[in-house]
Amino acid sequence: MNLDFHLILESIPKMLAGLGVTFQLLILASLLGLGLAIILLLMRISGRWYLSLPAFIYTYFFRGTPILVQIFVIYHGLPQFEFIRASVFWPILREPFGCATLALTLNSAAYVSEILRGGYLGVERGLHEAGMALGLTKRHRFFYVTTPIAIRLAIPAYSNDFISMLKATSLASTITLLDMTGVARTIVAQTFAPYEIFIATAIIYIVMTGILQRGFGLFEKRMSRYIMQ
Amino acid sequence: MVDLSGWWDDYFWGAMAVLRVFAVSLVLTVVFGLIGAAAKLSKSRIAHKIAGAYTIAFRGTPELLVLLIFYYGSAVTLTGIGKIFSSQTQFVDIPPFWAGSFAIAMIVGSYATETFRGAFLGVDPGHVEAARALGISNLQTFFYVRIPQMWRLALPSFGNHMLSLMKDTALISIIGLEEILFVAEMATAVTLKPFMMYMVVALIYLSITTVITLVVMALEKHANRHLEGAR
Repeated sequence: MNLDFHLILESIPKMLAGLGVTFQLLILASLLGLGLAIILLLMRISGRWYLSLPAFIYTYFFRGTPILVQIFVIYHGLPQFEFIRASVFWPILREPFGCATLALTLNSAAYVSEILRGGYLGVERGLHEAGMALGLTKRHRFFYVTTPIAIRLAIPAYSNDFISMLKATSLASTITLLDMTGVARTIVAQTFAPYEIFIATAIIYIVMTGILQRGFGLFEKRMSRYIMQ
Repeated sequence: MVDLSGWWDDYFWGAMAVLRVFAVSLVLTVVFGLIGAAAKLSKSRIAHKIAGAYTIAFRGTPELLVLLIFYYGSAVTLTGIGKIFSSQTQFVDIPPFWAGSFAIAMIVGSYATETFRGAFLGVDPGHVEAARALGISNLQTFFYVRIPQMWRLALPSFGNHMLSLMKDTALISIIGLEEILFVAEMATAVTLKPFMMYMVVALIYLSITTVITLVVMALEKHANRHLEGAR
């Protein structure tokens, strides 16, 4: 096997353009997903069944089905309905980028809400009681006692999920979006040199994963600065 | 529902294809996971390095990309080899079923490596020493002392790996296996009802993952049955 390094060097600029799309998808979907996850979390822990049940069904559905299927339902499936084509969201849902963002957002919201719930449930009861004894209101307890601790507890799982999201963005290439994987696939289709291009792409992903892991590690360290070693 | 009536058998055979991929790759996942864990726990530095590179590479690369590398990579290599023997060779590939199952098992196996490694470390070393003191052979110690105790510890994470394995099977349609996503695509072309057709796929996956979750819960209960009184 002889690798064509010239081809790799030639395709790096194209891949970097794809990297931009990958990043846009990742940042947009994870921010929107985090927002939706917080809403879902509040529904889950509200203690009212008419709020917690829909949130449970939502997470159950999105965690139980492959992301690829969700992307296809949104991209191929939604235009079936007349009212969606007539709605104000159509300019977004017409584009593969909008569909991929929506699918990744909905998917990550389901996973992240479970992670946040794990963090929330991990907060010691005694701290709640201490807050109560100090006369903090329910809202103050939530924001100043529970939330900071829950965030620290949730970081390791969240960083894993963020990295899975990075990998999931590659599925956007199946709906014609030219993210990094999409670019790699078009180059391979032209040159038929799968080893060079795909492995070069994989290395870029692996490096990005490493950087993200390191970044979350530092963040976790900062959030744990009050913990006695 | 009328639109669906003609497609049930196609969906059924598609689901069967998915389950076949799942069964094959589950066995391979356990094999890769055990080999990886053995390498990580061994004293050999080379085995250590190789296992470390394996987990980093397969956990950091998107699943789709791994699948594409395995399928197209093997096709290019095999076609090249075929050309040596006969100049008429056009295109040789590994069937998508095997390329896909193998690729998925390599990915999930890299996660299972870490799980198994942790589970083996969780077995009380005193038990292994006790087995040695009783003169039980290494092989028997492995199967009668280590495995029964480690699988109890590995089950919760391994259950999650099984779920991601199941969901990763959807990717194989991209390299051309005729499974349920492929059926949905075909059905859409005829009925022009894409939402319903893809929703059926989602519901099939949802029911399979539900069954897996229930089975794992039952297995966990079975594995921990001797601890029930203690808790």
